[in-house]
Amino acid sequence: MKRILLSLLLTCSLAPVLRAAAAPATPAREAYVMHFNSDWKIASGLPEKVLLIGLQGLANRTEPRLYIVHAADFPWEITGPLKDFYERKHGVHFTELTTAEEALAHLAQYAKGYVVWDPAVMPTMNVAYTIAGLEDALVVTPALIPLAEKHGLKLIDDLRGRYTGRTDAQIFADAKQRYWARCSHDQLLLDGGQRGDIRIPAIADWGVRQKMFFHELSANPIHAEELALEKQFFSELNPGGTIFGWHVYGKDTEEQHTTLISTYGLKMEGLQSLPNLSFNCQFTFTPGFKFTNHHHVARDAKLAAQDKVYISFVQSDGIGIGVWTKPGRGRMPLAWGAIMGWVKFSPAALEYFHESATPADYFIGGLSGPSYMYPNHIPANRFGLLMKEASDLMAVLDERIFEIMDNSAADGNLGNADLTKETVDRYYANFPDVTGFINGYGPARTRDLRDSRPLISYDYYIDPRRPREEVQADMNELIALNPKRPYFLLVHVRESNDVNSLVGVIKQLNGPVEVVPLDLFMKYAADKKTYTTRYQLPEDPKHFKGY
Amino acid sequence: MKRILVHLLLAAVLLPLAARAADPAFNGRWRLDVARSTALDGWSTLDLVISVDGPKVTLHHELTWHSTQVTATNVVDTAQPAVLVNFFRLDQRHMAVYARPKEAATVQAAWLDASRTLRVEALVPLETSQGNTTMRLYDEYRLGEGGTELVLIELHNTRDRALVYHFTKVPEEAAKK
Repeated sequence: MKRILLSLLLTCSLAPVLRAAAAPATPAREAYVMHFNSDWKIASGLPEKVLLIGLQGLANRTEPRLYIVHAADFPWEITGPLKDFYERKHGVHFTELTTAEEALAHLAQYAKGYVVWDPAVMPTMNVAYTIAGLEDALVVTPALIPLAEKHGLKLIDDLRGRYTGRTDAQIFADAKQRYWARCSHDQLLLDGGQRGDIRIPAIADWGVRQKMFFHELSANPIHAEELALEKQFFSELNPGGTIFGWHVYGKDTEEQHTTLISTYGLKMEGLQSLPNLSFNCQFTFTPGFKFTNHHHVARDAKLAAQDKVYISFVQSDGIGIGVWTKPGRGRMPLAWGAIMGWVKFSPAALEYFHESATPADYFIGGLSGPSYMYPNHIPANRFGLLMKEASDLMAVLDERIFEIMDNSAADGNLGNADLTKETVDRYYANFPDVTGFINGYGPARTRDLRDSRPLISYDYYIDPRRPREEVQADMNELIALNPKRPYFLLVHVRESNDVNSLVGVIKQLNGPVEVVPLDLFMKYAADKKTYTTRYQLPEDPKHFKGY
Repeated sequence: MKRILVHLLLAAVLLPLAARAADPAFNGRWRLDVARSTALDGWSTLDLVISVDGPKVTLHHELTWHSTQVTATNVVDTAQPAVLVNFFRLDQRHMAVYARPKEAATVQAAWLDASRTLRVEALVPLETSQGNTTMRLYDEYRLGEGGTELVLIELHNTRDRALVYHFTKVPEEAAKK
């Protein structure tokens, strides 16, 4: 209660400081903004959005000229608040563009022509985006050709008929032959996600700007030709390369794709719906800004654990997808997995999160490396370099706890999410300065304690749809099944959980229970090791055995 | 020799009793009604196939989650306690509570309520983050009127709240498909 009062006092006392800091720190600059609706259907809203997102990538090549605010139900909830942040902190003055016609009137000058894709052969959209990046082309369907020509653009390429009747493997093998040599070999764009009648390629501006090769290949071994082709791409990427986007739903799984990427020591940055990177990448942190995490204990402090149940909550999913802007944040200690890679290509978003953090919000590093990776599969000769990169990013972000996740043997958020002893050894060797590690997504059972630095896995995962009375019963059951005190109950809060409802659950838990920030939790876990040491065992069940 | 004779005599008396105790409506395929049941995290579908053979009752589970397909069978004995290796427990898989492979559960079963309820009690070996532990589990499989619905009520010594799973009988012809 004291801590809550203190938090409220801090919030109130900081308010004038935040207002004082609201004056723009950099000279004013002009940019355009468009508001997108929720219609991503191939048959209706998609073609125009594909055109505009591609145009955004071209217009933002040299300066941040076009920003897109997405609808309230869009997966990334921060596009609106981040626009306000640019206005407030970077002095950006936005002029609204309401139609594609208007957008082209102001921005067609950044395109040299247009390329036509065929909505009846959907992979042509991604081939067209690759061409757009290389040739500065607007990406249009046949119906949008008149609009492009009205603004003086000429045909560069027409994909109609070229790929009709061909498989995805054949299409992207052909595109590889034609375009790959001229594309970036540091980055690749996996434009997957939804299938059926919609696509959400909101990340395409970034791929066009960076001249990436776009594809939608499967990492599922049942698609042998696609898998072989994707392996070729990965083997030809420069060491430390990054795959932006997301896997194709229905073709393969997140587990398969992330395993494959990790096997090559590459990094994964999701999702295919992540918007505005071509705009965001052109802003640095505001002058004088320095990340200051809300630590609750000194790095080298030793705390004495009491005979009680210590609970800590972690929200590890993409921070912008989660509950950050929803009511309730700040009412209980919650650790947030910030996306460390955004230091490089979306710093303003990270600054926005830090600026708006309450004392109850605590940032942690991850996920598994400088971006999303499965460490059991990272080659030994790449592990140290990748973790040095992660460690450096943690230092910038003032983070002391590192989160690991390896779902390569799991099925969705269930199953085997454990780390081999060899992997655990590597983490302890490569992160000498962390306070501790956490592991898992769903529950896991990798645990360790070395040099007063615990590695604790999630004992519980809260599905946002699970009735709160069952969540309460589950947590009380875990408390009963783990009778030694202290008991360390680490809880993963799935992205869209409602914080207010969790506060209600906590009030109904049995016994001496204390909900603590994650850094305190780790310090207590370092003091009394009531948990077993365990690693992934060869006989533990594996849903996917890897490549 | 005397002991064998006594056992044979007991078996001769008890087995027919046990066989009579079983309501034949229990036999068959039962499908979990997810909407009416306690939320079961970690499993999308569950079919329970029950077959009664004398005192033995086979409880065969067919479960799915995403692309995961799991089958697990418990054969309980209504005539005497049994020791079952790899006893299957219908678990909430978002909790870090794991079965201990190759270890045995002590299981007792009985027919109640004029053979319309099967009671199963088990001491189940489990692994949690603090090490090995045992859960006492109490199940009642209650046959509904008309024999087309089955309710499984499960209690744990570690949980204050009952878990209630509603099943509907899958017609024999549909079950064959």
